[in-house]
Amino acid sequence: MSKVVEISPTTRHEGHSKLVLKVNDQGIIETGNWCSITPVRGVEKLAVGKTPEQVPKIASRVCGICPIAHNLAATEAMEASIKCEIPKDAKALRHILQLANRLHSIALHDILILPDLYIPGTETQINPFTAEEPVRSVAKRIQRLREIGQTIGQIAGGDCIHPRNTRIGGMYRNCSEQAKIKMYDLAKEGLVLAKAQMDFMIAVLRNYQTRESVNVGGMKVPLPKTLGYHNQGYLATHAFYGCSSLEECPSWDIERFKEVRPWDWYMGEMEVSLEEPRYPIGGTTKIGTKVNPQMEACTGIPMYDGQPVEVGPRARLVTYKNYDEKGTVGQNVAREMEYVDSLYEMIDNIDALNPSGKVVADYIPDGDGSLGWASNEAPRGTDVHIARVKDWKVQYFSMLVPTTWNFATCSAALTGAPWQLAEVIMRGYDPCVSCATHMIVVDEENRLVAQKLIQ
Amino acid sequence: MLYPEIVVAGCGNPLFADDGFGPAVIEEMEKLSLPDNVLIVDAGLGGPHFIFTLLDPEVTKKLVIVDIADYGAEPGSITKLRVEDLPPGSYRDAHSWDLAEPLQRIKDRIDITIIGCQPARVTTPEFEVGLSEEVQEAIPKTIRVILETIGVDYGTTIERIQEERQPGTAKTSGGSLKIS
Repeated sequence: MSKVVEISPTTRHEGHSKLVLKVNDQGIIETGNWCSITPVRGVEKLAVGKTPEQVPKIASRVCGICPIAHNLAATEAMEASIKCEIPKDAKALRHILQLANRLHSIALHDILILPDLYIPGTETQINPFTAEEPVRSVAKRIQRLREIGQTIGQIAGGDCIHPRNTRIGGMYRNCSEQAKIKMYDLAKEGLVLAKAQMDFMIAVLRNYQTRESVNVGGMKVPLPKTLGYHNQGYLATHAFYGCSSLEECPSWDIERFKEVRPWDWYMGEMEVSLEEPRYPIGGTTKIGTKVNPQMEACTGIPMYDGQPVEVGPRARLVTYKNYDEKGTVGQNVAREMEYVDSLYEMIDNIDALNPSGKVVADYIPDGDGSLGWASNEAPRGTDVHIARVKDWKVQYFSMLVPTTWNFATCSAALTGAPWQLAEVIMRGYDPCVSCATHMIVVDEENRLVAQKLIQ
Repeated sequence: MLYPEIVVAGCGNPLFADDGFGPAVIEEMEKLSLPDNVLIVDAGLGGPHFIFTLLDPEVTKKLVIVDIADYGAEPGSITKLRVEDLPPGSYRDAHSWDLAEPLQRIKDRIDITIIGCQPARVTTPEFEVGLSEEVQEAIPKTIRVILETIGVDYGTTIERIQEERQPGTAKTSGGSLKIS
């Protein structure tokens, strides 16, 4: 007899999502639904009538963790629609910015998954905040890598969170010779640290893979060898960056894409019938709670050739580097392998950058209403933006963000795993569920707590 | 170092009307000439993971967060809050650490001030761009408070930005501003 368990909200990732799992008597997942519960609507409508310069700024605000990917994809979708080719030094700066963002993101993800993993040869799960060695020096290395990524991003993009240097037709300004040298020095320092960090993480992940069981909230959970396996296929549009034409990238064809509604894909109304108060953090949802993934899911289900696909580091490695390891550990190892790759690529781009080269196209057309698209390989997968610009006004705009691709694929990958490990599988996708506002409510009853009003 | 001695972070999402208050304040402050040890940054939604967890207490001594805060006052009213005043969960971004509060981790080593403005309208989950009039008018007052907090003489700078105000940018001369 199947039981239903719900983990809500899921933790250690961006945004709000939940897992609704139908499990058998042994607690093995028969059907898993992972869905976004963050309603964010209207970016398409908001963009219509705006200038192409405004829309990338709007797009970059949709998410708190990948504004750079959204900014670049939206800018390049506009450029694809108006048919504007940007100078090569502007391209190099964009590549550097994007890779710096990826470096930061991989390092951040390390911290998010470390508490699931063990110090090899012990039964100690890793607390990245402990002051004890060897974890302390790993944490310091991660912080330095994040700092390096953000500093390089700040130099290339003008700002390390919402880049202000990008513009339609290229970049506002090139960097100085000194700034180029600084980026180079930082990337070289990062390369040494990233290599060490990659080796550490892969060793820890391989050790995890050999375990018979793992501890989740005091429960001993058997670890299946096929944790996170699925047969859904992969989609990547570039080994590092992205592209905006079918000639450049035959693997992404807009004609082969369609989106279905969540109610065609997710389970209908059910009642929670299994509850586990020991599950971190704070236990699972109470027995008797009604759940309805069909109605609660806030995203569509994108399909490529009629099936959900996986996007992200493993998809890139499978597509461009003959990587073939399945499962959650394989996915995390792929992400670690991107550490060093992205720094080598970054160094190549810094080398190629001519600080006195022009960074704005000579001619920026107003657009004739042609459909343009651009993909950007965000840290967590292919981010595709589609636009139509006519007479310097946006007529149509749409965003296909990476985690939307992964929702249905990850749901398929949950099948066959103990339900306590569902979040471990989900974290392998480094999900980034669009965030909503985060206004401070000082008191739930709206009571005035702050005493000192500034008049 | 990525972040200098004093960091002013404008938090919030301009796609949800008044939630864009923090970034709007930063946009306005960019017109000021500030000392080299001050960084003003449009944090958007990325404050917890891009800033609060990356500050080095050896270098950064003061953090000012500008955001909206619903504390039941008149829209556009401003208050100064300390980390202790915040309810659990503020700036607890699930993508940052282990559900611990990033500000709690650093509050004993970095002087943190949160400047909160009571919003009139937050449109989540519907997108809407543009601040309400009350919140827009709170911007100059907020900048004055920020400059006071970080110890920068503001008397002349505010006058200067008024003179240089460009058409189409956020208002810098709200009715409530009294320049002494």
